This record gives sequence, C-alpha cells and structure tokens, in this order.
Amino acid sequence: MSLHKMESTGWGRTVRSVSTEYAPQSIEALQEYVRDQKSPRGCITHGLRRSYGDSSLNIGGITIDAAFLSRLEFHADAPVVTVGAGVSIRTLEKASIERKLFPPVVPGTGLVSIGGAIAADIHGKSHHITGAFSSCVKRIQMLYSDGEIRDLYPEGPTADHFWASIGGLGLTGMILEADLQLIQMNTPSVLVEETRVNNLDEMLTLLSSSDENFQHTVAWIDLSGDFRGRGVVGKGNYVSQEPGAKQEAPIKSKNAPTLTFPKIGPFSLINKLSVRAFNEMWFRKPLTRGIASIDSFMHPLDQIQNWNRIYGDRGFIQYQFVVPEGNEDFLAQVLATMKDLGAASFLGVLKKFGKGSPAPLSFPKPGWTLALDIPANLRNLESTLNSLDSQLCDRNGRIYLVKDARLKPEFLPTMYPRLEEWRGIRNNMDPRGMWQSDQSRRLKLC
Amino acid sequence: MLNAFHSPQSVALLGATSEIGQAILKALPHDSLNTCFLVAREPQRAATSLKEVLPNRTTLVEIAFQAEATQTHKDIVNQLFSEGDLDVAIIAAGVLGNNPDLDESTNALDVMTVNYVACANLMLLIAEKMKSQGHGQIEIISSFAQTRPRVDNFIYGSSKAGLDFMARGLNDKLEGTGVSINILRPGFVRTRMTKSMAEAPFAVNSDAVGKVAVNLLKGDDRIGYAPAVLKYVACVFTFMPKKIFKRISNR
Repeated sequence: MSLHKMESTGWGRTVRSVSTEYAPQSIEALQEYVRDQKSPRGCITHGLRRSYGDSSLNIGGITIDAAFLSRLEFHADAPVVTVGAGVSIRTLEKASIERKLFPPVVPGTGLVSIGGAIAADIHGKSHHITGAFSSCVKRIQMLYSDGEIRDLYPEGPTADHFWASIGGLGLTGMILEADLQLIQMNTPSVLVEETRVNNLDEMLTLLSSSDENFQHTVAWIDLSGDFRGRGVVGKGNYVSQEPGAKQEAPIKSKNAPTLTFPKIGPFSLINKLSVRAFNEMWFRKPLTRGIASIDSFMHPLDQIQNWNRIYGDRGFIQYQFVVPEGNEDFLAQVLATMKDLGAASFLGVLKKFGKGSPAPLSFPKPGWTLALDIPANLRNLESTLNSLDSQLCDRNGRIYLVKDARLKPEFLPTMYPRLEEWRGIRNNMDPRGMWQSDQSRRLKLC
Repeated sequence: MLNAFHSPQSVALLGATSEIGQAILKALPHDSLNTCFLVAREPQRAATSLKEVLPNRTTLVEIAFQAEATQTHKDIVNQLFSEGDLDVAIIAAGVLGNNPDLDESTNALDVMTVNYVACANLMLLIAEKMKSQGHGQIEIISSFAQTRPRVDNFIYGSSKAGLDFMARGLNDKLEGTGVSINILRPGFVRTRMTKSMAEAPFAVNSDAVGKVAVNLLKGDDRIGYAPAVLKYVACVFTFMPKKIFKRISNR
C-alpha cells in the first residue's frame, strides 16, 4: 500500500496542508482501504489539484490520488466515451480529436481531471449554449464510503445521488469513471473573432449580442489603470471544414504546454507597474480574426506551466462570482473597489452564463460571472471581499466554491439556497461522514 | 480552519483576563473569527471587556478554571476542541510574584506552579490535540526576564525560562506535524500587574505586544521580542561579564 505524508496546496497557493497521501494501485485495494478507513479526519480525492483553494486538501487526514483511474474507451455505436476520473481534459480532447469528436464543455485549462470537472461542475466559454459540464455526463461510477461501487444516472432512482455529486466537491463519494456525451467536430480549429472594447458597458453589450451568433464567448478585462472595464471580447465557432484540409486524414491536436514558469521563492512579480505594462500590451496586441487551433483558443493559460508561481509564496485569490442580470452596476462597483484596493491583475475574465444545472451545489446560473486573480497579500483584501460577498447575498449572487479559500460559512446558505437539501442527500450517501476536506470543515458544509 | 489569509476561525485564550493575552486577541484578524474560548478564573470578566472589540457574530465560550488545578486541565482542553478544529491557542496565564526577600517569598510556589507547571501542561495537552487535527498554532508568553537571572526577579524569570525551554523543545519535536509553538518574550509591559513597579527601559504598552505576537503567528520566526530591540539587548546580556551585568541589573 502506497502511503506517505505530503504537503499540498491549492492552485492559488494560499493554504498549505499536510495529509497522508494514498495512491491506490487497483480498484479492489481502494475499496478495501475505504471500507476499513477509521481516520477521524476522513478522506478526500484529488486529481490534478487545479481547485484554487482548499477543496482538495485534507489537513491531518487522507488524500486519495485518482491518477490511476486512467480508462479511456470510446463507444463504437455513439459519440460517447467512458473515461476514468484521473484522466485530464487535455488527454480526453486529444483522443477525441483523433476520432473527430470533442467534449462540449471544456474549462480555461485542459489540466483538470474528469473527476474534478464533475465534482466542481466546471463551465467553459460555451456555457450560454451547452450549460455546465454536467450537461454531457450520462453516468457516474461512484465509490461510496461503505466500499461499494454504484452507477448513478441523471434520471431515475439514482438521480438525487447523481446531482448531489455534480458540483459536490468530492464530499459524496469518490468518482471512479463517467460516461460523457461528445459532439462531432470535423477539425480541431475555431474561427475566432476578437474585438477591442473601451469600457464595461461596451463589453456587456457585445458579450450579450455575441451569444446569439457564437458557440464560445468570453472577455478579458483589464484590471489595471483606471479599471473602467476595457478589454478584449473573444468569440468563436467550431470550423466545419478547415480550408484545404484533407477530410479523410486523422487530425492531430497541437502539443502544449511549451514553457514552465520558474520557482521564484517568496517574491511576487505582480505590481502595479508590471501589470499595467502587460495589460497595455495585451489590450493593444493584434486581434485574432480567423482560424485558430482549438487548444490555443480554449486553453490560453496552458501555454505556460505553473503560472501560479508568479504571485510568490503568499499566493493569490481567484475571486469568481455570478450575479443575475440587472446587477451590472455591481460589476462596475467591483472594478471600482479593485481600483481603490490597488488590486492590479493580469487576469480578469467576464462571461454571461446561460441556464443553470439541476445540481444543488452547481455554481453557474443565469447572469454575469466575473473572475479576478488578486494577490493574497494585498492590504484589506479579506474585509473587502467579505463586504462584496455580503452584497452578493443581497443580489442573489454566489461565489464559485472550487475557487474559494476564504468565504465565511454564514454566507453559504444564502448563496446556495439548496444547501440543506444537498446535506440531506449527502448524509444519506455517506452516513459515516468519511468524505471531508479542509473546505468542508471551514465552511461547515457537512 | 485557517483561510487563505491565514485568519483563524477558532481561538482559545487561556488566562483570558491577562491584559497581554487580550491585546493579542484584539490584534488577531477577526474577519473569520467564529468562536473564541475564554478560559480564566473569572471568564465573564474577560468576556465583558472583549465583547466590545470582537465581532458580534463571534461566539464567546466562557470556561472557568484555576491554572494551578492541573488535574482539571485535560477536561478543559477537551472542551476547546469540542466545536471542531482549534486554530490558535494563546496561553497567557501568569503570576508576576513579589521581590524575593528569601524569607518572605511566600508566593514563589504560585509563580512556579502557574507560570511553569500549569502553562507547560496546558501547552503539552493542546499540542497533542492539535497534532491529531494536523494543524494549529500555540503562543506562549515567555519573558525577557528569562534571559539571565537577576536578583529582583529570578523566581519569575526561572518559571518563564522553564516554559520557554520546553516550548522550544516541543516546537522542534512537532516539526512536520503542522503544529507550531510561538514564543513571545516581552520586556516591561505597562499593565495592571506592573503598575506599582518602576518602569524599565524599553517599556511598551500591551497593544504593541499584541501586534508583535500576531506578527509572530503570521511569520516563519518562532521567537519574538516586544519591543524587537530586546532581541539584541538579550544577546548582549547573555554574554556580558557578570560584574557589569549585576551593576546594570541592580540599578
């Protein structure tokens, strides 16, 4: 049995957590280990550790590595794939592209495991059309805390367990594999159209109107200077046929990533000057209007590995929230607050969500979602974000739990009004209370 | 649990009527503070003075105890972990004692029992519980007086030296467990306890000590002096020839 002490952090590198890491070699060994587990601090599964905060951490307890769940099997009779929870979205994409298929929902990074994608109900640039990742999940195979393995489906007698596990942050059981519905795609390319906008109003208008004509929409927002909301709106559609391409030949996707960000110790490269210079360059860069590889369009951040090191040892917060339409003034207020705080950042992303999913803890719901990377050592950041959270509650908004490492537990029932329903199903699925994480303890989720 | 800003959700103050202890509690970030255990002979007195400075949503749990009743310590420590994880424990119980004309040092036993036996025992018990939860910070209040024995406070100094010694050893033993022991060494602090005494050089207010204590919890150093300059004074005192030291310390 492979067990060892390990210090881990979330992607934001703000919280460090020492746990006992278990790397199972087989499903049978895993079942036995879980069944016999008596640790009062319980277990949580982790994949590629792309959750930003403490969702995949379990201080003083056990973390289970899902990497060995590597099955990848395409169905012969339908565009469906059975995929292990430890497989990354990028691996799935590459294998799918060779078969002229593609996952309908992919996040901003391909380095997310399938188990993580389901447990966070991730979303992508296509949310206004496809919904969240759960929209393509046809079956989940789940290991329960009693050591039994059960298949869960979105409809029928297992539907409540299925939906509690979607966005359930790994607290209902361990996802072993899933059946995913894929879409047909002739070429691994996207016809991209980027547009520069000068302020928040223009950005909101263009994003709204573009959703009607484009399968993918997202905006990069400049979080420096006067924070007025200027940026670049990116829109894209799958290309039905690449000009001049031989349709019969299998199409390979590009390999990425290409660069690795070095370790820089405690120092942060983020300051008003560096961010201002980069953002100015990014805003002025030549706009893409034409065919781009799907990899570079979907996962621009994956070109640089370990980019999270840029914030130094204190790490960063990704503050991502959604507010219903009609609360556009809140977006402007957040930008103004960031300006007052001096929270200059490379990464600000705005998108308009479509319909939500039936999962009680799924994050996306109709409205505007804004994601901001902010250095964690910024003065007064904690109280400022708490104040924004309070306003979000008043506006029927919520924050994204898989990005969180700081939300106060008292806000949770307002942001996720079906929390009690989820807790009931979760207690039924895991009466031993074995699935725990630092986040579940911090937010008193279970 | 500590959050991304390393702000605690749950804190225990043992010796909760201590002015230094309360100053540390006041200086801690309160943004995420949900539960605060106040352990003291008269915990309600501590609660009254802390209610105004802590957020309304923070639950104050009052626990009555007598530091010298060491047989009760285990139950008291268990109560600190009854609501879930305990993030920070500040052990601030202490007795100053009088100047020891040896035949009149009637409270020497009190000083030794409270400052060393009780505080060290609480530290060990809390450390053990924190080890099981995989994280936690303990802060003990040592003293600049433990640097070198002086004729006017060697009993007090020795009790703090004993506690300090154990804290350093325990911190080394806990390496890799996620638990750390922080040692605060204040000099002369202007409090009720020192009101009748002549002020020593580098005297500070308890609020300043609180800030040093909180910085200690946030940083990588495990030992902090208040004020910081005492670190260098302690270094000089340690290696100073005895004749000169006696002349200076007896002034």
